[in-house]
Amino acid sequence: MNNGTILSGNNLSKKYGDLEVVKHVTISINAGEFVCLVGKSGCGKTTLLSLLSGLERPTTGEIKLDGTDITSATEDQLALFRRENVGFIFQSFNLIPTLNAWENVALPLFPIKMSGDERHRRATELLEKMELGHRMDHLPAALSGGEKQRVAIARALVNNPKVLFADEPTGNLDSSTGDAIMEIMTKLHTEKGVAILMVTHEVELAKTSQRLIRMHDGEVVA
Amino acid sequence: MNLHYLMNELYYQKRRTVTAIIGLSIGIALLIILNSLSMAYRQAAQVPLKEIGADITVQRPGDVPKDLTGAVFPCSAVTISDEELKKIQPLPGVRGIGKAILLWVFDPNRAWIVLGIEQQNPVGPSILRHSVTEGRFLEEGKSEALVEVAYARQFNLKIGDSITIANTTFPVVGLVDASRAAKIAVANVYLPLAEAQKLAASSSQLQSVSTFGPNDVNLLFIKADQEKITGLASTLKDLLGKKATIGTPDSFLKLLGSLFALSDKFNLAASIIAIFIAVLIAFKTMAGNIAERAREIGVLKAVGWTNRNVVTQLLVEAIVQCFIAGILGLVIAAIVAFALSFMKVNIPIPWDMSPTPHFLPGGGDQIFKTLRLPVHIPWSLAAFAILLSLLIGGLTGGLLARNISKIKPSEVLRHE
Repeated sequence: MNNGTILSGNNLSKKYGDLEVVKHVTISINAGEFVCLVGKSGCGKTTLLSLLSGLERPTTGEIKLDGTDITSATEDQLALFRRENVGFIFQSFNLIPTLNAWENVALPLFPIKMSGDERHRRATELLEKMELGHRMDHLPAALSGGEKQRVAIARALVNNPKVLFADEPTGNLDSSTGDAIMEIMTKLHTEKGVAILMVTHEVELAKTSQRLIRMHDGEVVA
Repeated sequence: MNLHYLMNELYYQKRRTVTAIIGLSIGIALLIILNSLSMAYRQAAQVPLKEIGADITVQRPGDVPKDLTGAVFPCSAVTISDEELKKIQPLPGVRGIGKAILLWVFDPNRAWIVLGIEQQNPVGPSILRHSVTEGRFLEEGKSEALVEVAYARQFNLKIGDSITIANTTFPVVGLVDASRAAKIAVANVYLPLAEAQKLAASSSQLQSVSTFGPNDVNLLFIKADQEKITGLASTLKDLLGKKATIGTPDSFLKLLGSLFALSDKFNLAASIIAIFIAVLIAFKTMAGNIAERAREIGVLKAVGWTNRNVVTQLLVEAIVQCFIAGILGLVIAAIVAFALSFMKVNIPIPWDMSPTPHFLPGGGDQIFKTLRLPVHIPWSLAAFAILLSLLIGGLTGGLLARNISKIKPSEVLRHE
């Protein structure tokens, strides 16, 4: 691993019973790099993202995030690791329906010993950056798809992550809202220097990234 | 644990919250009401004896003389000797004994039911001193009589009149309203115990069926330690013979015949069933709730919540729900208990305890002590119900939270 590498997966495989979904994949992402993982549905993109982010354990192989081997970490160690190092953006937003916008953004901070004011300040700051300052007290049900995804992006950033994992972040949005979200992602990458690994099946969208990794049938093909 | 998240979850998921809370609160309310009712019946069963200042009454049934003239004992109460009395006094649990003599006196022109009482003994019929409506109560060392007010009205007896009972004359010093007092050992005339003993001892009819000494009696009222009443009743039977009539709160409870009063086992079984059903409802609702939230829990874990964070959040949520259910159950029970406290209960007084010759007017009528059912919820029961709610919340919440916290976020967040 060179000095610029923030995330690496070495010889990663994932099997569900007899079905091998990810096959001996070796991948690395540099700090501040924007990488897109493309391929057809079912080719193993999301599984690879889950492996690299510590949401799932590989059957074989080794994962290092910021120099730390997370392959053999316990569930709770992985949770703490995710809390401190990574952010997630999902296709279906995955906001908590009973929490309003700022509370959803502050969700990763709830288990951390921190004053309520500090939590509120950090969440508010991010929501204002996402131009959602006027929607802070609204429940997800009262937000549009684009607004929900902007809340989700703010939540992913609230712990100042080193790597942002985005799984089809525009998949549930119309094209213009999707473009706006991609604009935010690009801006984030440029301004904050956060490394981004984005899964998408839309090649056009992937072109906004610095590097494109193609997957086919569980393997990296290019 | 985030309190705001918890409150939002309970508030915005109203259907789930209300179902769980109502299910459990009904069970808790049933538990409280069943136990309060049982206690109320037990308390009611104590009233007839308490009203006569006793916990136990003792009588011995016997024979009635063939010729009903002069002073005789009713068949339900014949001699209890002074020797037997001396054996009863030191028994463990006995706190005081009141003695009395109940006589039927058949004079040529009139029949009397006469009760000889100890004027100064707080245990037993001297409690009648609070029911004197006119004149005064019997004084120590004086040979005088109190007349029951209805009887006095019937025979036009007034204070200052003299009445002759079995050839002995007594001045009437007071009228007493026995209907306001106990229903046990009700009489037409009340005399000092010594005078009644003299009447009994000098009656050849009475002596012919039940030998009676100058210090003997035929009614005992015993004040006893509450927890020793049952054991004492059994000892008294051994001492006075199996035929002895021992009146206790339990014997009145049996007369009441209510399911709630009859059996502690029934009450316990009903309480357990009520709680079991309530726990099932609460468990099922909470299990459904937590299963519905699998995706949400996946999100929590993905953004860095540890298993312990998740379990604590869900556990406290369950405990708060169950605590609210406990409070609601208590409120429901308090309302029902208030409504039930207007219910009247008729406690039958056995003929033996207040014997009236059958051939006299009203002699065969069943006597009842009627009172409002004293339903109330003791603090200890309320506290137990709340603690039980918290325990149910802790156990069900802990169990469910532990299971759901084991889910892998990748399994529930996969969108395809």
